[in-house]
Amino acid sequence: MTPLALLGVISSAIFSGTSLLYTTLGEIVGERSGIVNLGLEGVLLVSAASGFAASAVSGNPYVGVLVAMLAGGLMNLVLGYLVVTRKANQLASGLALMFFGFGLSAWIGRAYVGAKIVGLPRLSLPGLSNLPILYGSLLSFDPLIYLVLPTAVLVWWVLFRTRWGLSLRAVGEAPDTAFAAGRNPGRIRYRALLVGGLLAGVGAAHLSIAYAMNWTEYMTAGRGFIAIALVIFSKWHPLRAIVGALLFSGAVAFQLLLQSSGIQVSPFLLNTVPYLLTLLVLIGWGGRRKYAAPASLGRVYQGTE
Amino acid sequence: MKTKSLPSIVAVVVLAALLLAACGQAAPSAAPTEAGPCLTIGALHGGPINDAGYNQAMHESVMAIQESIPCVKIIEAENVPEEAGATSTMENMIQQGAQMIIATAFNHQYPALELSAKYPEVIFEHAGGWEMGPNFANFFGNPPDTWYLMGVAAGLMTESDQLGFVAAFPLGWTLTFINAFELGAQSVNPDAETTVAYTFAWGDAAKEADATNSLINQGADVVTMHVDSPATVISTAESRGVYSIGFQSLAAQQFAPENWISGTGYTLGDKLTWLASTVIDGTWEPIFLRCGIEDGCMAMAPFGPKVPQEVKDEVDRVRADIAAGNLVVFAGPIVDQEGTVKVADGEELSADAMGSVDWFVEGVNGSPK
Repeated sequence: MTPLALLGVISSAIFSGTSLLYTTLGEIVGERSGIVNLGLEGVLLVSAASGFAASAVSGNPYVGVLVAMLAGGLMNLVLGYLVVTRKANQLASGLALMFFGFGLSAWIGRAYVGAKIVGLPRLSLPGLSNLPILYGSLLSFDPLIYLVLPTAVLVWWVLFRTRWGLSLRAVGEAPDTAFAAGRNPGRIRYRALLVGGLLAGVGAAHLSIAYAMNWTEYMTAGRGFIAIALVIFSKWHPLRAIVGALLFSGAVAFQLLLQSSGIQVSPFLLNTVPYLLTLLVLIGWGGRRKYAAPASLGRVYQGTE
Repeated sequence: MKTKSLPSIVAVVVLAALLLAACGQAAPSAAPTEAGPCLTIGALHGGPINDAGYNQAMHESVMAIQESIPCVKIIEAENVPEEAGATSTMENMIQQGAQMIIATAFNHQYPALELSAKYPEVIFEHAGGWEMGPNFANFFGNPPDTWYLMGVAAGLMTESDQLGFVAAFPLGWTLTFINAFELGAQSVNPDAETTVAYTFAWGDAAKEADATNSLINQGADVVTMHVDSPATVISTAESRGVYSIGFQSLAAQQFAPENWISGTGYTLGDKLTWLASTVIDGTWEPIFLRCGIEDGCMAMAPFGPKVPQEVKDEVDRVRADIAAGNLVVFAGPIVDQEGTVKVADGEELSADAMGSVDWFVEGVNGSPK
């Protein structure tokens, strides 16, 4: 195992972990406000399909990213209408949204299967451009990859260092108290869902426009659920989510490297890694107040009528 | 109370409308002539027919029948991956008057075989299967020779002597393709090695990108694949600036304008046209049809802009050798990764054995299981 091979694993992990991290960050924002989005898989699919279609039609990948974000935001607002305005059960609404997303994304993407798009450009960091070509290609990433860590820090800052974030977390813990303090829980949850949907949209755009450069039906292959598991793994904390996303995508990259040495780790077993990690975290820290889920996560806020 | 239930009613109506719109996609492409069709053919595919890969190649082959025999009517269905769906789709086609069924996905074989017993007057042709019956036969291209040619091109083009192969599953035919590719590369470049990465899915684009990146990060500078659609692997290779070789459909070239070497695809139109004509004149017989590049069942895509003339000439020379029978790809001695002799000197690997290969030739990195 050469240093180059290990660097390769890290490079692969960064490439494939980016979409997962954006999605996880989006779900953290939503869950911090008290709403669990089990339909995330469907949100991702609709965003990935719309973004890919928009890139193919416009010939501009940035238009695709924008459309994917809008699609993600819209899908999450549909969930918001169900669970905030209509006060429907969150789990049932999420599952319905997911199946709706399966069908809608297949319909949107149908005409664009096999379409050729212009992917996002790969940019080398200054100073790395005079490395040997092989190292250079390992470390040249697209803009969305460079933006993912600043985004994670920004989400942390907004959630934990601003009044808006404080209100959002207050609504997730105790909406009645937040209401008594003059906050509007419904409006705050809508905003949280919108932000979460935009972030999930970026994740989906990275998957279909920058990474795979292709649309295939059900191409997210469970990444929405992995993101939900990573939210629990990271204990609803944006910075710990970075570790979770890298751990999982690193495991996938390492398995592919092992294959070439003739060692076959079952990919089906490997797919359980995020859920095993989540279980371990739940077993280890489950009872501690500091790491507990937002207190009113999944609950319907009835409001005061 | 009335005003309160209005939004949910609106929501239900909108959802229902969207669902209906999504369901109304399976439109058959029918072109009946005035006198009625001379033969109705039902064709079904496992995936989308515009995937720039296997399904597109099969769709174009089926459509070629109509170009040569305008009086046939073709009912086509795509995205039928499962056995249950295949059965009901074929039954439906037969109800619509189909006298010939062409099923192109791996999973279609047994549903088609069962229906062939139920409808003895309907002819069933399956792509790539092995079962036979009185009104059930199969047809396919024979890719190992073309994979050997691709290996020759890759072996001459590589600078790192590392070739990458993204494969869906360790299946017998896939291993045979990989072996033929590596043997071709070795024949012109003794140092060439092929490294294999499996995705364990025919169409998981993200996994294909993972696998391609992993192979490139391990030093591969030529990448090829055996998955349904070559789009992701070739796009990824192009964005990393490494060479690529396509498979399944010749349409793959569009994804690599710069670093494309060549590719091969299925072009079964002529053979399917011939099969349909025998159904029309009543001379159809169940034959196990396999045909290669010299019969026109496989084709090679044009070379990319970076391929020098010497490489093109060498590939053409090897192709002529194979056509003339001077060169047999799987002629012994062939040893596997452990050094065990798999094909003895003076012997050849039979077509039957190619489908159930469970070993890699020396020079392939990866597990054949």
